Amino acid sequence: MKIIIDGKELEVEGKKTILNIAQENDIFIPSLCDHPRLAPFGGCRLCIVEIKGRKNYAPSCCTYADDGMEIKTKTPRLQRLRREILELILSEHPNACLICSEKENCDDYKSTIRKVGETTGCVLCSNNGRCELQDIVETQQIEQVKFPSFYRDFEVKKSDPFFDRNYNLCILCGRCVRICHEVRGASAIAFVNRGSQTVVGTVLDLPLLDSGCQFCGACVDVCPTGALTERAIKYEMLPEETKKSVCPLCSAGCELKIDLMGGKILGSKPSEDGAVNRGQACVKGRFIIRDLVYSPRRILKPLIRANKKLEEVSWEEALDFVTRRLKKYKGKEIALITSPQLSCEDNYLFQKFARERLKTENIGSSYSFSPLAVYHEMSQKNQLGLALNFKIRDISKAKVIFLLGEDLAVSHPLIWLEVLEAVKNGAKLIVASPNELPLNRFSSLWLQIKPGSEFHLLSFLSRILIENGGAGRLSRIEEFDSFKNSLNKLDISQVFEITGITEKELIKTARLLLEEEPAAFLFGMGLTQHPWGSQNVAALQNLALQTQAQLFPLGLENNLRGLFEVGRNYPDKGLAFNKIIQGASSGDIKALYLAGPMPYLNKAKLEFLVLQDCYINENFELADAVLPATTFAETEGTFINEEGRVQRFKKVVEPVGDAKPDWWVISQLACKMGNKGFNYKDVSGIMKEMSKVIPGFSNISYLKLENGKEIFIRDEKKRRKSFIPLKDNGPLYKTSKKYPYLLFVDYSLDYYRSLPLGRESLGLRKIRDSRWIKISPEDAKKLKLDEGESLRVESSSGSFNGFVKIIESMPKGTISTSLLWSEDSDFSAVSFFTGFFQEENALGMLPVKIKRGK
Amino acid sequence: MEKVIDEFDKDQRELIHLLHEIQKQFGYIPAHMISQIARQLKISESEIFGVLTFYKAFTLKPRGKHLITICMGTACHVRGAPKILDEFKRELSIEPGETSGDNLFTLETVNCVGACALGPIVIINGDYHGQMKTREVDKLIKICRQKNGKR
Ligand code: SF4
Ligand code: SF4
Ligand code: SF4
Ligand code: SF4
Ligand code: FES
Ligand code: FES
Repeated sequence: MKIIIDGKELEVEGKKTILNIAQENDIFIPSLCDHPRLAPFGGCRLCIVEIKGRKNYAPSCCTYADDGMEIKTKTPRLQRLRREILELILSEHPNACLICSEKENCDDYKSTIRKVGETTGCVLCSNNGRCELQDIVETQQIEQVKFPSFYRDFEVKKSDPFFDRNYNLCILCGRCVRICHEVRGASAIAFVNRGSQTVVGTVLDLPLLDSGCQFCGACVDVCPTGALTERAIKYEMLPEETKKSVCPLCSAGCELKIDLMGGKILGSKPSEDGAVNRGQACVKGRFIIRDLVYSPRRILKPLIRANKKLEEVSWEEALDFVTRRLKKYKGKEIALITSPQLSCEDNYLFQKFARERLKTENIGSSYSFSPLAVYHEMSQKNQLGLALNFKIRDISKAKVIFLLGEDLAVSHPLIWLEVLEAVKNGAKLIVASPNELPLNRFSSLWLQIKPGSEFHLLSFLSRILIENGGAGRLSRIEEFDSFKNSLNKLDISQVFEITGITEKELIKTARLLLEEEPAAFLFGMGLTQHPWGSQNVAALQNLALQTQAQLFPLGLENNLRGLFEVGRNYPDKGLAFNKIIQGASSGDIKALYLAGPMPYLNKAKLEFLVLQDCYINENFELADAVLPATTFAETEGTFINEEGRVQRFKKVVEPVGDAKPDWWVISQLACKMGNKGFNYKDVSGIMKEMSKVIPGFSNISYLKLENGKEIFIRDEKKRRKSFIPLKDNGPLYKTSKKYPYLLFVDYSLDYYRSLPLGRESLGLRKIRDSRWIKISPEDAKKLKLDEGESLRVESSSGSFNGFVKIIESMPKGTISTSLLWSEDSDFSAVSFFTGFFQEENALGMLPVKIKRGK
Repeated sequence: MEKVIDEFDKDQRELIHLLHEIQKQFGYIPAHMISQIARQLKISESEIFGVLTFYKAFTLKPRGKHLITICMGTACHVRGAPKILDEFKRELSIEPGETSGDNLFTLETVNCVGACALGPIVIINGDYHGQMKTREVDKLIKICRQKNGKR
């Protein structure tokens, strides 16, 4: 269709608002409440236009273009009205600076006067110079405010982590309320009161901490004023420069804009044009990046142990020392631990170094117990060749979503946004989890299963579907009969008791699963953590075949997929992660090279321990050599996110101290230990080599990535459709009189390399402290435990401490804690590792007892 | 309390209806019920708070036996409503929005109740008293007190 704006004829396709069309064609219409991620609202009325043939002025942000429309955006009458509207807004906003005739020169003369409690004008406002309201006022040439000024005199809210709320500066555009509701699904804030009393607030005016806030910062980012401001940068200057990077703190890999000042990071924000995140992030990427780069725990200099003490040395000395010592050990006596938070290039060099120089295949990482590992193994074992790649955006198009056990808003914030979008478009969400998750209020059905009973839930759902006549079309799929027989062998009498789910609920679930297409099944550690995790995944894959659902395996770390793709290029595998730990304790492993997370090794019988890390951790004291590594912000490379998307990240700041990129350290060592094959000048040389030797990487080129091409890693080709006969995996976890509680682990990735994020960020610690031991109100009452009290958890394989956190939604008889590799060892559930690692890729749950005190 | 909430469908559109029911039964919306309503209707607590502070009909504080509402709309205002309000404040020693210590009176103001011609208007327990004079305030309060057997 054709429309005319200000005399210009424009061709328009699809349903679009006048404001959108104007923006696309560089026609400026002032607007304050409209936002590209939000539904049209029409609150501020600044965007009014005249439409030929209509009597009233139309707000262009919520008026859709029609064929033949003639629109004027700049008539004198409109200009006058807009100025009036803006003056009205400004009458309740500190406006002296906005209309001051000296404002041009003001910056040159004023000294630092921003550190005042009250903001009475732009020069006292932390938003000065980056303020949308300021910009709009500038365009409207406001010289005076005719209406009486009014200062609302609200107290500035400062008690929450990360940002302050000063509603004296709020213009009630509603963007924060809407983004929190529409996009984040938190609805922590709302318009409160009515008429002239209206203000943005929380329930009973409680802190955001008690109002369901995720601290994603989305509201801060959309606020057009200084009402919502990040505390850390409140008194900082405006950034000199902004560079892009990729967040390494979960498997989504949000594109971040890193603000810089004098070569240092000021803060980080989600990038609006990030292909994955489209302007959104989460508390970690938004508020913690600066803390993790400038952590006081950073290792600044290489150190070696000489005369029993760690001493600072030059890189040259340190590398010589490590080379000399490593040469003393035979291949099988050496093991390496790498990290799925390191780049593809780093991980490739680790593999190559291990095999070509150290002659060992013992290279482990936390990959081995990731959902990806379990899923892929199941697929291989049954020769299915299941797809590993997916598109995050496809989740938002699903009509039925089955979510197993993940607290998505915490563990996979970006995936959660897609699920929410699907639900808002009418999708049915089914959640199976032992505890009530905040996102459950968006579900059509919440199956409160007993911990560890997913297998029974899934296989009985399969059985119901078959019994209700779903067999016809399916019976032609391979292995249908043996699958059906295996289902028939399962003892149906106990399913309700084992799962805690009623027959009615099971039937309702089955019906919902069949009702609509497409269906998406989302699963992560919650499903695969158990020793019988691969049976769980098999049961889920059968159900997916029956309902034509797509499976979305959700790993935790940012480059899990990259590490996997590099690793699978090497067919002969050495010891897995848990076996390496066992080998270190038994003395079979004599030299250990740590570049990834590892529990406290105080019991290990090692002769030589190298620590290549960014942060001092408890293993630091045990190390014989310490090599300071850079964080992601100080180096470059590629990550592959959960979708299989290849993400190039670049160096944003110079390394702190003498820290060096991991790939550099490894290639230097390799060059000292031999003379061929490790002469890399930079990462691009490594990637070039990888694209030749690793088939999965053959389509990756830096050049293409830099030109903005979307590249996904090569995926499985030979797909095969087949059911998998199921095996009952026997009894679930059994508690006993001695160990009456079941401990399970919360999977949120709250660490970067060996740094527990909560250690550096007190804000995050307020939201989720890794030392919390979560317990139900009933159990707390029974044991007379108060919130915050010290608690000791014991199992047959160890013990650790923590603090009581009473959580309404915890099921009775269970406690949970976060999985951190290297928190203070006293507070780390990983001290249980021998108990947890019942199998190669399972952490499982543990029967424990709890005691008050330390 | 749970019973009132449980009788409602898990449907967000029921919110206002449910709030009315609670207000009717308890005379106010007890703050601790907000989280129960949130779970039942699957909306956030802040959203509920937003709705219940939007409507004057809902209160978070218990109300006295006698609700005295004074119109402060423009017409009533020019006809002397502020003086009437002052008189009530003085007699009862409470501010608008507050309830007297003996839980007998709650004082509130509104903007126009649509009976401008009769202004200034005072509504006591739903009964309209038009063309109020300051000296009648004392009398009205006494009548209420008598109904409760107090002098
Ligand atoms: S919010 Fe913007 S317009 Fe208002 S005082 Fe701050 S800088 Fe000035
Ligand atoms: S930080 Fe996120 S969750 Fe919290 S109020 Fe803002 S938008 Fe809502
Ligand atoms: S706080 Fe900011 S975003 Fe929210 S309504 Fe006020 S001005 Fe708009
Ligand atoms: S942690 Fe994940 S969701 Fe959060 S900003 Fe980083 S990549 Fe995005
Ligand atoms: S931008 Fe259109 S009404 Fe605010
Ligand atoms: S102003 Fe009081 S009734 Fe209208």
